[in-house]
Amino acid sequence: MNRINQKLKEDKKLLSIYFTAGYPEINDTVSIIQDLEKNGVDMIEIGLPFSDPLADGPTIQDSSTAALKNGMTTEVLFKQLEGIRETVSIPLIIMGYFNPMFQYGIEAFCKKCQELGIDGLIIPDLPVDVYHEKYQSIFEKYGLINVFLITPQTSDERIRYIDSISNGFIYMVSSASTTGAKSGFGEEQTAYFERIGNMNLNNPQVIGFGISNNETFTQATKYAKGAIIGSAFVKHVTKHGIKTIDSFTKSILN
Amino acid sequence: MKLKVCGMKYQDNIESIAGLKPDYLGFIFYEKTPRHFNTKIPEISDNIKKTGVFVNAEMGTIVEKVNEFKLDAVQLHGEESPYFCSILRSTSLLSRPIEIIKVFSVKEGFNFEVLEPYENVCDFYLFDTKGKLPGGNGYTFDWSLLNDYPSTKPFFLSGGIGIDQIEAIKAFQKSEASKYCYAIDVNSKFETEPGLKNSSILREFINKLHNKKTMNYNVDDKGYYGEFGGAYIPEMLYPNVEELRQNYLKVMAEPEFQKEFDQLLKDYVGRPSPLYFAKRLSEKYNTKIYLKREDLNHTGAHKINNTIGQILMAKRLGKTRIIAETGAGQHGVATATVCALMGMECIVYMGEIDIARQAPNVARMKMLGAKVVPALSGSRTLKDATNEAIRDWINNPVNTHYIIGSAIGPHPYPDMVTRFQAVISEEIKWQLREQEGRENPDYVVACIGGGSNAAGTYYHYLHEPDVGIIAVEAAGLGIDSGESAATSVLGKEGIIHGCKTLLMQTKDGQITEPYSISAGLDYPGVGPMHAHLSKTGRAEFLSITDSDAMEAGLELSKLEGIIPAIETSHAFAIFKHKTFKPDDVVVMSLSGRGDKDLQNYIDYFKI
Repeated sequence: MNRINQKLKEDKKLLSIYFTAGYPEINDTVSIIQDLEKNGVDMIEIGLPFSDPLADGPTIQDSSTAALKNGMTTEVLFKQLEGIRETVSIPLIIMGYFNPMFQYGIEAFCKKCQELGIDGLIIPDLPVDVYHEKYQSIFEKYGLINVFLITPQTSDERIRYIDSISNGFIYMVSSASTTGAKSGFGEEQTAYFERIGNMNLNNPQVIGFGISNNETFTQATKYAKGAIIGSAFVKHVTKHGIKTIDSFTKSILN
Repeated sequence: MKLKVCGMKYQDNIESIAGLKPDYLGFIFYEKTPRHFNTKIPEISDNIKKTGVFVNAEMGTIVEKVNEFKLDAVQLHGEESPYFCSILRSTSLLSRPIEIIKVFSVKEGFNFEVLEPYENVCDFYLFDTKGKLPGGNGYTFDWSLLNDYPSTKPFFLSGGIGIDQIEAIKAFQKSEASKYCYAIDVNSKFETEPGLKNSSILREFINKLHNKKTMNYNVDDKGYYGEFGGAYIPEMLYPNVEELRQNYLKVMAEPEFQKEFDQLLKDYVGRPSPLYFAKRLSEKYNTKIYLKREDLNHTGAHKINNTIGQILMAKRLGKTRIIAETGAGQHGVATATVCALMGMECIVYMGEIDIARQAPNVARMKMLGAKVVPALSGSRTLKDATNEAIRDWINNPVNTHYIIGSAIGPHPYPDMVTRFQAVISEEIKWQLREQEGRENPDYVVACIGGGSNAAGTYYHYLHEPDVGIIAVEAAGLGIDSGESAATSVLGKEGIIHGCKTLLMQTKDGQITEPYSISAGLDYPGVGPMHAHLSKTGRAEFLSITDSDAMEAGLELSKLEGIIPAIETSHAFAIFKHKTFKPDDVVVMSLSGRGDKDLQNYIDYFKI
């Protein structure tokens, strides 16, 4: 069974952390992953940086630009991840935009992910229908789970459709925004969380965007299986470097 | 599959058929046929191989005709021996190399062994129908006989082929028997009298043969132009884009919408824009040049055609807040203008560098009540302004409409923008009919960044094969300089701003930063329709450097009294690089006026 599915079966709320590969320094990738696991993180999104990240706010944009400047590429990331499964056992997901993967070749990309022990992909700008029509069979061939986003504006009908195509979890974007734009949840969000919770979807949901501390993590996981923190973690390593990951995770998990 | 049109006789007819760009034209040097060729061959494209057809002629006669008419191929219809062919092929009396096509007439029971001695002495075989006369006799033979074709030499399929055989040809193309079929040879079935070909039926045949009828240059129902287009957008944008996709054609078809759109174009924009015959420019370049004066529109460029359309669309969709990106500032001004007209909030994203180099337009937007937000990321030009506008839309999904200014973005944007800009070619058609007596020019020319003025200029000509389409990109400091925006040359298939198209990128798929002196062309991608036009060869793409463009802008100013935008100047530089015939009608999209670029011209020419 895919590590993501296994993890989702565990009887606990999951903390998932996003970081941008190649940031703050080009060779920080592996040690960030290892430290996150060591400090109780359940799942990791490894951000493959892109020059034009449309769905990201300034924090992740800037980290992506810096990572690219540091020399991060798809090839370099794959090289860094060689042997990662000797030391890390939690699910690893690569999150990135479609064009770099498309240029690498989708099949080659998926094959490499399988070889390295990557469990899934999140590609915000690959629409579900294009995935379904063209790429689903390739992803499945290499045992990869593709994770789709839904937002407060996504219709019930479309959520059901996305649920039917998904085979891991659904990434619930907490509010209509780019990453890191908002913090804290209002009534609008909790109503949305409840609405989705009541839909009894086949796939568990993990909430992302707007989660930055223990309070928002607790709020989100009241309704969902887990939560993803991205911008807040990137801000943390920008400010404090990668040696104090434990203090960050402790502040979330208490 | 190539095409040969045989039995040409009359000069005018040869010219008009040559215009259809067949691969071979055949001239029959055999006195006993009514198609006997006995005049001169007019000047035709070097890409068309002139073929002399002979029936048991003397070697000397053939050599003489090859040299006199500069023939590229010789087709032998008689009992010419292998030895004859080999001598003809190698004789030093020929002034030029020729292809030799040996003809065999086929009927049931044809023995393919007769080909063997000719294997090494000719370039092609041609199979036609066995009948009373040399030549095809006007009916087809049973092509399945070619299943027994023992050779690997490419051959011409001939004999009574007409437009009625299109389906049979397509079936044949799919069959094993067509494996070595190199060309289709046609003649009598396309004639109104012997030797006189009907160009319109032949054009239809060619279009059908090359699937041009089904080659669609418009968007398909899934939002693609061939393999380009689509909507590669984050889920956050899906509801907005989907709402637009479901409504745009419906809204545009509403009589009330059309009435309001047409009225505003007429009374507010000042359309129709003139189609002006540029006499002095035409004289200088010895061809007939017309200028479609989009520079005379309100706000000084074509951009307002689209913003009028989209603001009416936004109103009907109940939106109250408008965002836009801009490069040169023309689209920003056009958007700010229509927002003022409709009393809507307007936010324009503009690269920090462009804000500096297009100061007058920034001031205009501000006067019109728009908020201009600098894009500070990446190259701080049009690409980054577009990113910021998209991010704004993600953050404001309900009340906001994004007016994209170019024929780019997720479906339905490229199509919607193109349709609003299509008024340009719609007007050219009737204006040209008034002035030239025909709707179709020989060429339409436009500059291309994302490609909105080009899309509008081409739109009604996309499926008119006799109209050449020329797209002019910005080469910046030169294609190989690393400072360029010539996407059709430097770009590769990929995803930018929500669509699959050609874009400039690294091997790793990171979008690269383009360069052009003109802010409006300084974009690393091109609209998906144009990517399709480039890939299919429907449009000819030329790239023009900064310096050539600036010179051309100055030249147009001095020759015609029109100072063009630097974007537009790129299109006018083609006359230095491409020669047109004296009677060619070339329609140039004069997409914008140069007022906004005055400082750039002043700095460049030290005026």
